[in-house]
Amino acid sequence: MGREESKKDVCLFSQDQLDTIKSGYDDWFNNVLKDNDRQDELSGKYVTHSGIPIRMLHTPADIAGIDYAEDIGFPGCAPYVRGVYPNMYRGRPFTLRQLAGLGAPEDCNLRVKYLLGHGATGVNILFDLPTIRGYNSDDPEAEGNVGHCGAAVDSIWDIDAFFKDIDLGAISTSVVTHLPSTSIVIPGMYFAVAEQRGTPKDKIAGTCQNDFIMETCVGSGPEILPPPVSFRLQCDVVEYICENYPRFNPISYNGYNLREAGTDAVQEVAIAISNAIATAEELIGRGMDVDKFAPRMSFFWDLHNDFFEEIAKCRASRKVWYKIMHDRFGAKNPKSCLMRFHIQTAGVTLPATEPLNNVARSAIQGLAAVFGGCQSLHIDSFDEAYSAPTEEAALVSLRTQQIIQSETGVINTVDPLAGSYYVEYLTEQMINRIFDYIKQIEELGGLVKAVEDGWLHREIANYNLKYQKKIETGEMKIVGVNYFRAEEASTQEIEVFEYPETYTRQKAKLDRLRKERNRQKVDESLNVLRDKCHTDENLYPYTMEAVKNLVTLGEIEELFREEFGLWTFPLIS
Amino acid sequence: MARPIKVVMAKLGLDIHWRGVYLVSQFLRDAGMDVVYIGNKFPEQIVEAAMQEDADIVGMSTLGGNHLTLGLKTVSLLEHAEMTGVKVFMGGVIPPKHIPQLLDGGVHKVYGPDTPMETIINGIKESISV
Repeated sequence: MGREESKKDVCLFSQDQLDTIKSGYDDWFNNVLKDNDRQDELSGKYVTHSGIPIRMLHTPADIAGIDYAEDIGFPGCAPYVRGVYPNMYRGRPFTLRQLAGLGAPEDCNLRVKYLLGHGATGVNILFDLPTIRGYNSDDPEAEGNVGHCGAAVDSIWDIDAFFKDIDLGAISTSVVTHLPSTSIVIPGMYFAVAEQRGTPKDKIAGTCQNDFIMETCVGSGPEILPPPVSFRLQCDVVEYICENYPRFNPISYNGYNLREAGTDAVQEVAIAISNAIATAEELIGRGMDVDKFAPRMSFFWDLHNDFFEEIAKCRASRKVWYKIMHDRFGAKNPKSCLMRFHIQTAGVTLPATEPLNNVARSAIQGLAAVFGGCQSLHIDSFDEAYSAPTEEAALVSLRTQQIIQSETGVINTVDPLAGSYYVEYLTEQMINRIFDYIKQIEELGGLVKAVEDGWLHREIANYNLKYQKKIETGEMKIVGVNYFRAEEASTQEIEVFEYPETYTRQKAKLDRLRKERNRQKVDESLNVLRDKCHTDENLYPYTMEAVKNLVTLGEIEELFREEFGLWTFPLIS
Repeated sequence: MARPIKVVMAKLGLDIHWRGVYLVSQFLRDAGMDVVYIGNKFPEQIVEAAMQEDADIVGMSTLGGNHLTLGLKTVSLLEHAEMTGVKVFMGGVIPPKHIPQLLDGGVHKVYGPDTPMETIINGIKESISV
């Protein structure tokens, strides 16, 4: 079989050593392996989840072309394969970031306090579907979804209630507004609450997601803004927050949900980075210096089942980002070239059958995330396939993180899997494949265009079909589901979170708000915003002004839909 | 030859998770059914589409917790429109304890996570032959 000839001179090993290793490998392959094993290896059926060939045995010959100093380097130094900080977890353990958000903001407040009280150092706040897609709780479109799967937020009052008695200057909050159209509103409510409480702007730490791919592609909805509009709002958010809130990350390129919607590891990273490239081009076009915004960009990866490939993905993504920021955009500030990312374990891998097995799956994925060098981690709960996590399940997830961090010893040395022939081989393969896919997107006219044309939706649909067929045929094994399935399916009763009273509470609050607010100020701020939609101006200052005047989320989103029009989701027949 | 089974597939209300519903649509198509995926729709729109398409089957997916409200509302609107011949299937993340309520309310079958595609295909075929 043909082994790839290394492009460079031998760097990690002497030529003599390498010759010995290569002939040793041939001898092993031809004389030690049994006939069946040789056939098995030659069949080519062993590939990673994204299709990278896996050898039965990886040797130094697979990584002979690697130049350690140039290709891998030292942590905290270019090209950052080994990590973004010099001492990694010794200096700064990964943030234990579990989610909170169910029901009314008042319920969430208790959950946040519960998690902070048990050692969490940051919180993710999730919203219910009406909030995610920009409808008030009493909007007819919101029917049936208020308070499910996340918190209901209609106005600045709700953000105030969510964080009651919590010092906004002392925590780091991931405000999980997926869409740019809500990221231009809800974090603004958070900033406005902080301002009212006198918290200085430079103490406000956190992230919002703000990803136009989420708005137009990953999540579907009855009313979707056109991709170029969503992209413009995304860039408005980044620009405004970079100018005003130095410790708040205005964007988290969401590879995670893309992956969950249906892509492999290569596509996940390549699409997210393509979005970052598009953002950088837009902001530079607006006159912003790359070093002003790039240090504040962050990424969000999924940690799926293929243990080593996922670790390689994390390591590879840091280098791709470095190359793009440094070589392509000429970033001078080293922080511009640091890819920081949050990881969530893969919800899509967690079946409903025998749910307690998911504790094991998630722990293994969480461990891979740590080997990958993530900055913060969320471990999915075993009841993932039933509902947003119950308190018991959320605590198991938090405890799993603490066990990895405090009991296993894996955080005591930086990037412990570096130097593994297999991991370094995969890392190099991932880097090349990510660059290739980015190039493919550019050849389609860039990501915004590729989304508008429905290309990305088709890529996702094709991937899912392939993946699902592997499950249906049993080629992809899921223990307890299509492999070692129990005779009697487990009937374990999982408690489900429900907040039926959320609607009533939100409705009452909205009624009171509409009565108490100054109608003239509301109309004024809406009219100004309406006019500004048709200019090149950044809309953030105007949405901020509106939320301070008690304009609701739903009112602002409705205005966007009226002014910008709607777009049809490509896969609809 | 009898006409293929006509299926209208919808994402219920605001739920954003389209992976499952689109996959099921593709598998039903591959199994020879005539499938129309109408995207995110509310009960009135789903009934309207079922009427226009002369559907045998309405499939609704939700992972957003609106199954008891919007799901049951769709069934009763179908009854109201005297489209009782249309069989309603639901899938997604639906707590097992809610399934009896859905079935009592007129939903023909509910398929949760981990359901093999073959089960869904056969379930639809059987519902038509009865």
